[in-house]
Amino acid sequence: MRVTQSLEQTQFISALDTLESNISTSEAEESSGLSFTTPSENPAAAGTVNGLNQVLSQSVQYSSNASSAQGSLQTENTALDQVQTQLQSLYSLTLEAGSGTQSQQSLTALAAQATEIQSTLLGVANTQDGEGQYIFAGYATQTQPFALTATGATYSGDQGQRQVQIAAGQTVGTADNGDLVFNEIKNGNGTFSVTAGPNATSGPGGTSGPNTGTGIIGATTVTSASSYTGGSYTIDFTAPGTYKVLNSTNATVASGAYTSGAAIAFAGIQVTLSGQPATGDTFAVAPSKNQSIFATVQNLVTALQTYSSGPSQQTQLSNSLATALGNINQAINQTSTIVSQVGGRLNQVTTQQSVATAQQLQLKTSVSSLQSLDYPSAITTLQSENTELTAAFQAFTLTQGLSLFKYING
Amino acid sequence: MSNLFGITTSALAAFETAIAVTSNNIANANTQGYAVETADLTSAIPQNTGESAIGNGVDVSGISRAYSSLAENQLNTSQTGLSQINSLQTYTNQIDNIVGTTAGGVSTALQNYYNAWSTLASDPASAGARAALLGQAQSLAQTFQSTSGQLQNLDTQINTGITADVSQINSDVQSIATLNAQIVVGTAEGEGQPPNDLLDQRDAVVQNLNKLANVSTTVDANGALNVFIGTGQPLVLQGTVTPLTVIPNQFNGSQLEVSTATNGNNTLSSSITGGDLGGLLAARTQAVNPTLNQLGQIAVGLAQSANAQQNSGLDLTGKFGANLFTVAAPAVTASRGNTSAVTAGATVTGVGALTTNDYVLSYQNGAYSLKNAATDAAVAFTATGSAANPSFTADGLSITLSGKPAAGDQFLIQPTVNAAGSFGVALTNASQLAAAGALETTTASSNTGTAAIGTPAVVTATNPNLLTPTTITFTSPTTYTVGASATSYAYTSGAAIAQNGWQVAISGTPATGDTFTVQPGSAGNDVNALAMANQETQGVLASGTVSINGATSELITGVGTQAQQVNTAQTAQSAVNTQALQTVQSISGVNLDEEAANLLKWQQAYQASAQAFSIGNSVFTSLLTAVSGTAS
Repeated sequence: MRVTQSLEQTQFISALDTLESNISTSEAEESSGLSFTTPSENPAAAGTVNGLNQVLSQSVQYSSNASSAQGSLQTENTALDQVQTQLQSLYSLTLEAGSGTQSQQSLTALAAQATEIQSTLLGVANTQDGEGQYIFAGYATQTQPFALTATGATYSGDQGQRQVQIAAGQTVGTADNGDLVFNEIKNGNGTFSVTAGPNATSGPGGTSGPNTGTGIIGATTVTSASSYTGGSYTIDFTAPGTYKVLNSTNATVASGAYTSGAAIAFAGIQVTLSGQPATGDTFAVAPSKNQSIFATVQNLVTALQTYSSGPSQQTQLSNSLATALGNINQAINQTSTIVSQVGGRLNQVTTQQSVATAQQLQLKTSVSSLQSLDYPSAITTLQSENTELTAAFQAFTLTQGLSLFKYING
Repeated sequence: MSNLFGITTSALAAFETAIAVTSNNIANANTQGYAVETADLTSAIPQNTGESAIGNGVDVSGISRAYSSLAENQLNTSQTGLSQINSLQTYTNQIDNIVGTTAGGVSTALQNYYNAWSTLASDPASAGARAALLGQAQSLAQTFQSTSGQLQNLDTQINTGITADVSQINSDVQSIATLNAQIVVGTAEGEGQPPNDLLDQRDAVVQNLNKLANVSTTVDANGALNVFIGTGQPLVLQGTVTPLTVIPNQFNGSQLEVSTATNGNNTLSSSITGGDLGGLLAARTQAVNPTLNQLGQIAVGLAQSANAQQNSGLDLTGKFGANLFTVAAPAVTASRGNTSAVTAGATVTGVGALTTNDYVLSYQNGAYSLKNAATDAAVAFTATGSAANPSFTADGLSITLSGKPAAGDQFLIQPTVNAAGSFGVALTNASQLAAAGALETTTASSNTGTAAIGTPAVVTATNPNLLTPTTITFTSPTTYTVGASATSYAYTSGAAIAQNGWQVAISGTPATGDTFTVQPGSAGNDVNALAMANQETQGVLASGTVSINGATSELITGVGTQAQQVNTAQTAQSAVNTQALQTVQSISGVNLDEEAANLLKWQQAYQASAQAFSIGNSVFTSLLTAVSGTAS
């Protein structure tokens, strides 16, 4: 095999190109700390790293969403705590009003306290979060949701529930709308309610007026949920000791002799009355309907304020207080339900946050293991490339020194 | 005695020639195409003395070049392959860099865009979050545009390269034709002695030519070399040159093709597979355009899915969202060779079926046919419309034609090539972002029943009354009316109630007088924003199996793999070329040590001959002395 000097030189130059480009790549890797700087150096890893970074960025966004959801839910939780405290006070106040030792004056004072509670509740219902958004307004977070009226409060929010994504395919509601929390509270016992009156002839000039007897509404229960179909009934006292129960088309569904404290049963429900109803006194049974907390307080305040002494007034007050207690109890139940839901969501968010933190750590580790430079091996590579280049220089100098012409003396 | 002088004279002349040949070899040690030469010495015809034949000295019968056409052809073949891959490598490496950095940028911009929707979902009415989202959408569009722009720059570079290569090829073939003429004359005049240096020069030009494009050659008896390119088109026949020309692509005038004609649409481009030119053409069809198409496919997928979602939500003013992104429709270009006035257009109808291919629609034998522009494989399509204005549906495209076609008419359809470059944000006002779902519901507070209303679904988005608030009123626990109409319907729990283009299910036990209202989504509604953020992981491309994000990873891996393959092929081809070069050099190259030894050899032979001459001279002098001595 003949080897020519010109080929040797050409090959040396092309070897230099390769060696120096290798060294330059190694240098780029070491200065960037990345094991590849273009996809071609490791196509599969480059694609995977891109995918992992996307998942990572998404996960970071979910974490940030979860933090904001956590903030909102904690704000709601605090607000609901306050609602519960206020409702407990209202409940005690109502019990106190019904203790039978109250004067008109002390009742007026209690009414003032109830009004106070009502305005506290209104403040809570209009709670704003750190960004000035009303948390109980549904989607309409820029609108103040509640305003008091003569009979309760109006609601200007909507029934939306804002959702935040905290994981792939997992969203969590960040608040509950005010309608649900403050308005949609079934009155009575949650299934039906009983109200006293009217007496068709007790009013001025024989017109319809309040009951004249001392019949007070006691416990109300549903004995057979399937038998009670949501109808309205009237318990009509035809004589002080006799009642009949009429349905909405005035047909008698039950009748009997009245005993104070004994349950009157019909259509799957029981109503207990005590005291002595007068002839013509009625008690209306109606399916429960939603009544806002504000209306409940308003009704209570009205009842306390309009009290004037007398047995009939006392009976009316007792009945109003009984109704109020039932409704307050319903509101407490409703709030408890929502508090436990909020707790559940908070749990969900917290769990998801720790999952996300672990996931992010794992993703970063994966990205790093694919992309980060293994310095010891990179330095070794660079050193061996350096050695290779030095060796190439020496070999070339050595072979180029070999020429027969050197030994021909002219 | 005269014989002795004759012999030494011939030897001195021959060795002088040999030294000259050796010196010439040394002089051309680094000359491209030069083949090492040797002086061919033969003994002169002997003088017959009758008893024996005495040699008559030495003759230079010729100067031959060490040449192997087989080795030379191998070198040319490997060189054309190496030049092709070198040129291709330039482009795959650039794409590797562009995609590795800026398309990585597309991926990051996509992330920021989706995250902005997620942030907007937590506060849909916020002007700040809306402006931030619009900003992210714009930066996403800019990233698409700049990546596409850099890739399109490569197309421009390729055009410049093609023009330069063709001009160099033409200059080379002209040199070959000129050398041919000289060689034909030289061969004839040399009486069997080849014009070595002219042949060397021509070989060097052929080597250069092979670096530019793959050519084949034949040698005629008179010594002329014929050069052919592509599928056998002659570039040089004896002394006649057919120059190459650069013509615009029949569909896309901004893409240059190689031809031997100055007009018409016939190109040699597909048959030029070697040399720098072959590399440029391969870079365009195998690397640059497919990458543009793939990037465009991502852009179309994103634009279509985002626009569809945007159209189904409500903006801050309560109107259905307008398109968020604009993206160019598929490029449909008629061939310059079309003879009728038929026109064609295309739209993307199914982004899931959309491919990264280009298509050619041809009219031949009274019927249209569709094929893949790269592979020529037939593509199945469904035809609808009238014979005069037919429409074709294939691979997620709807192609409509109008006008009467003529046989041979062709259209090039590039569904996604311009998509990334034209990707833009259509909205100018952040309040136009549709964060709210189209419909929401309200359950009346006065309801006493336990029935609950579900989430309304849009069935007919075009219904003009879709957004009219409509109340469903229960006239009894088992019947209901819808809106103002008195018509009573029987209630079944969980059954769909349809009206005004929507449907909704109510389940549970309603009470008489209960009402539910279906109304347009309010400003604070975040349903559509959540759906937008969710698109991030939704399969959009490839029949819904690949998400927009996934497609960017595929793009990066694909481009990286191609660049890696080309790098590997380059290394391999480089080794093949070195091997061929070594073979040629071992046959035709000049080894200086060898020449030094030859120089010594010829010098010594010359000195010996001179010595023989000197001895002859002294013999002759002795003889003269002896003769004169006797005489005196």
